[in-house]
Amino acid sequence: MGILNFFGGNVLYYPGCLTKIVAKDLEENYKKILNKIGIDFIMLKDLEVCCGNPVLNSGHEKEARELVEKNFKLFKERAVKKIITNCPACFHMFKSNYPRFIKNWDIKVEHITQTIAKAIKDGKINPKNFNHDITYHDPCHLGRYEKIYEEPREIIKKSGNLKEMKLTKNYSFCCGGGSGVKSNYPELANSIAKERIKMAKETNAKMLCTSCPMCYLNLKENSKEIDVKEISQFFFDEKNNKQKLK
Amino acid sequence: MKKINLQNDIKNNENTQKTIIPIIYSYKEKRDKLLNEEQKEKFCEELRKIKEKSINNIVKLKKETIKNLSNQGINVIEAQTVKDAINIIKKIIGKEKTIIKSKSNTITEINLENALKNKKIIETDLGDFIIQLFKEKGIHPVLPSFHLTPKEISKKIKEKFNININPNPKEIVCFVRNILREKIFNAKIGITGANVISSDGSIFILENEGNISLISRIPEKHIILTSFDKIVETREEALKIIRASSIFGTGQDYPVYVNIISGPSKTADIENEIISGAQGAKEVYLILLDNKRTTILNSKFKELLYCINCGACLNFCPVYHQIFSRYGAKYFPGAKGVISSFFKESEKDAFNNGAFFCTTCQQCKENCPMKINLSDLIRDLRKELVKQQIEPSSITEMIDNVKKFGNPFGKIDTNKKPDKLYCC
Repeated sequence: MGILNFFGGNVLYYPGCLTKIVAKDLEENYKKILNKIGIDFIMLKDLEVCCGNPVLNSGHEKEARELVEKNFKLFKERAVKKIITNCPACFHMFKSNYPRFIKNWDIKVEHITQTIAKAIKDGKINPKNFNHDITYHDPCHLGRYEKIYEEPREIIKKSGNLKEMKLTKNYSFCCGGGSGVKSNYPELANSIAKERIKMAKETNAKMLCTSCPMCYLNLKENSKEIDVKEISQFFFDEKNNKQKLK
Repeated sequence: MKKINLQNDIKNNENTQKTIIPIIYSYKEKRDKLLNEEQKEKFCEELRKIKEKSINNIVKLKKETIKNLSNQGINVIEAQTVKDAINIIKKIIGKEKTIIKSKSNTITEINLENALKNKKIIETDLGDFIIQLFKEKGIHPVLPSFHLTPKEISKKIKEKFNININPNPKEIVCFVRNILREKIFNAKIGITGANVISSDGSIFILENEGNISLISRIPEKHIILTSFDKIVETREEALKIIRASSIFGTGQDYPVYVNIISGPSKTADIENEIISGAQGAKEVYLILLDNKRTTILNSKFKELLYCINCGACLNFCPVYHQIFSRYGAKYFPGAKGVISSFFKESEKDAFNNGAFFCTTCQQCKENCPMKINLSDLIRDLRKELVKQQIEPSSITEMIDNVKKFGNPFGKIDTNKKPDKLYCC
């Protein structure tokens, strides 16, 4: 864990609420991955608050702006120069909405698949090799919203043979969980996820991988047919049940 | 607000989903063959510029349009409300009992069938003809009946006409063609919508079936009900919009017919005297319906008026794929319909039609020839609704949690996973 650095600025790992509170294993995975890569990072822990994305999507702009202000203050107090997050919704919020709301926003934002893809190129880390076909689900906030299509694929290609679904990249079909639908109309979110699972199954891949905690949870809950993985799980040996970093 | 549960709607649409999804994929395949990604982007950019320019200049263009079309002999009438439009139509129809009609979202918007209960409205578009037999509402603005199978249709024909038709598309088409021809040739009044109007004085109506060609030529009176947002500046621009409607609507490069109407039928063959009503319509009426479009024009939802009604936004919409016409307004499904109902009906209608169904995935924008950002417009609509406390109860809970605990889930219990996934 990094120490406060007021001179050069800190790298903040921001897991986001869904990872921190629900998909906790992903947070553990990513902390280990960042350490292995050798990134000196800080975390806000109990001080971390919502990025504001679900609040903004629900139509509560005033409340979203309050969170934005609060976060910006927290980040500045900790001299954050760069945020790394694994949550595409938080990533989009920091990357594209914060600059709209805050005039002097100057913090770099990186999705963790970008960090990892670069580390793989630099030879610092490598995912496990599955030796089978894997298909990838583009999260809307990462793909269509932020045009990050290649980095997650670069990681997957190191793990196995990437097989694309018929709706992919900019035409990727939503998992159904976003924008509050998973809590407002869970039956709708589940039905959409099942349609996406069918598309994944049609590729005959053994595994469906994604890089968003919401897509991961929603697809996993609705899949009987195909093994759903979050991309950080590619770096750990599950068999030993020890989450050992490869 | 009363809680909405979509479980039954999802279940009732399972068969529709099975029928439609393969059709949608073949549509995309056809569309992708016509335009690769690069060509598509370029074309969309060009289209967006045409519509932006037109809508930004619409007051002037509308004046110009009315002036030019009136000079060419078309009766142009503006209708502020649905009621106005219906009264105008009733007046034109007079005592006539039968009206032949083509498919039009604007005609659906004014619910003409309901307003003219004492008259016979004959649907001449095959899809609408079938939908009328089934007394259903169309599920897609371009392909209203694409969820029904030949078997279901021939069964219905047997029920209604007592005629055995083999359940294959060819025989159904042949049967409907014969029935409709007779009715079309006897009709005195025809009503259609329009796809584009050019301010230099032409009305453009595209079709594949040929029914619009007949409606606009055979009866004495041709009524065109449409709205001012269809106006572009020039005929050249109008033809680009027509091509876009075709490519993005059905995946074909160009429609079979494009009717370009610039006045009533006329001749000057006898002593150079201009006489109206040679072989086509003697009288052409253009009704420009407003029905809150001026309000939309002057709001942050202006982008909605760039829409050319091709329905491409629906084709890969994850919500539409589960519940089809349950999502949106009866005159237009999906997010566009939801937003329209906020203006044309009420906040509550917008909520019930699905203001919070949208996952804001932006697939609609990706497929829209005009690149309308419906996800952003839905967020703006939600802003309006939450001001009136119109929101699903989960949102109220989520906002409370964020205010009290700084996260959407509330107090963190390390031993228990939250019941609801409030993100993102």
